[in-house]
Amino acid sequence: MGKYIMIIDDSPTIRISVEFAIKNMGYDIQQAENGVDALEKIKTIISKGNEISLCISDINMPQMDGITFIKEFRKTDKFTPVIILTTESEDNKINQGKEAGASGWIIKPFQPAELVNVVKKFLK
Amino acid sequence: MIKSESSKFGKPLYILYPGDYFASKDDCIIGTITGTCIVICLYDPQRGIGGMGHFIVPGSIGTSGIISDEIASSGVTSIEYLLGEIVKLGGDRRFLRAKVFGAGYLNSGKAEEIKLSDSNIRFINEYFLIENISVERSDLGGDFRRRIYFSVKDGVIYRQILQNNEESSEFIKLEQEYVDIQFRNKKKSGRIILFE
Ligand SMILES: [Mg+2]
Repeated sequence: MGKYIMIIDDSPTIRISVEFAIKNMGYDIQQAENGVDALEKIKTIISKGNEISLCISDINMPQMDGITFIKEFRKTDKFTPVIILTTESEDNKINQGKEAGASGWIIKPFQPAELVNVVKKFLK
Repeated sequence: MIKSESSKFGKPLYILYPGDYFASKDDCIIGTITGTCIVICLYDPQRGIGGMGHFIVPGSIGTSGIISDEIASSGVTSIEYLLGEIVKLGGDRRFLRAKVFGAGYLNSGKAEEIKLSDSNIRFINEYFLIENISVERSDLGGDFRRRIYFSVKDGVIYRQILQNNEESSEFIKLEQEYVDIQFRNKKKSGRIILFE
């Protein structure tokens, strides 16, 4: 059974950078380019008997943004950590994320080592 | 940024200062001046959404490319701010086209400045390649400043080469201040908040 980390961001540059930072943590990685794409891919991963261990998600994405993604994801999964990685830094946006069920909020730019530390904290 | 309602263009004009970004879905003009910084204009001709960002990548990018480079990450984030605004207005990077300007070297071509200019040009080329956003116009490098006006609705550019520095001396000062700050904070990273 595979354990997956989801990387959800509309920017390929960001997705590749995040994957590069966390690729040696022993998890399978699946990229998605928005909330809709992520929910579909998560469904497929689970239907094959694998599990989602953690999601790293952007906020500003077309089709489905990060806040809506968390709300949808939380309908079926209350516990898997979702870390937000975004340029958004306003308190009211951060609170929306928290209320939707985010586990943490990282404001870009990120240092790869710091991201790895946060991911480790939530994977324990 | 400053906004003027009645410009010579007959529509609202937004002037960006160094480090600013702005996006709109209204029929307006965004303008700025750049010397060493990069100015990117992004627009979606179908939806009439577009924006401009003014920034610099503060230093040289390593041989491994922009993906794992700390200094490049500063440039990626600068563009992310602009793209975030465009997405919030209903834009989608898959439909965007880019026009890029600037990255000049101004003090009679000192080696250091040429290196910075090269690094910024390389960044912008690699970035748009990875993002798969087509660059319709690339007007980079050279030992001069540029004044850029960008029409958001249709992506039309009015570009002027500035030979006379007096006209834009205030802007030159602001750009130098911005560049200095970016160099001092080149390894910055954002806040981390844990909810549990
Ligand atoms: Mg985004």
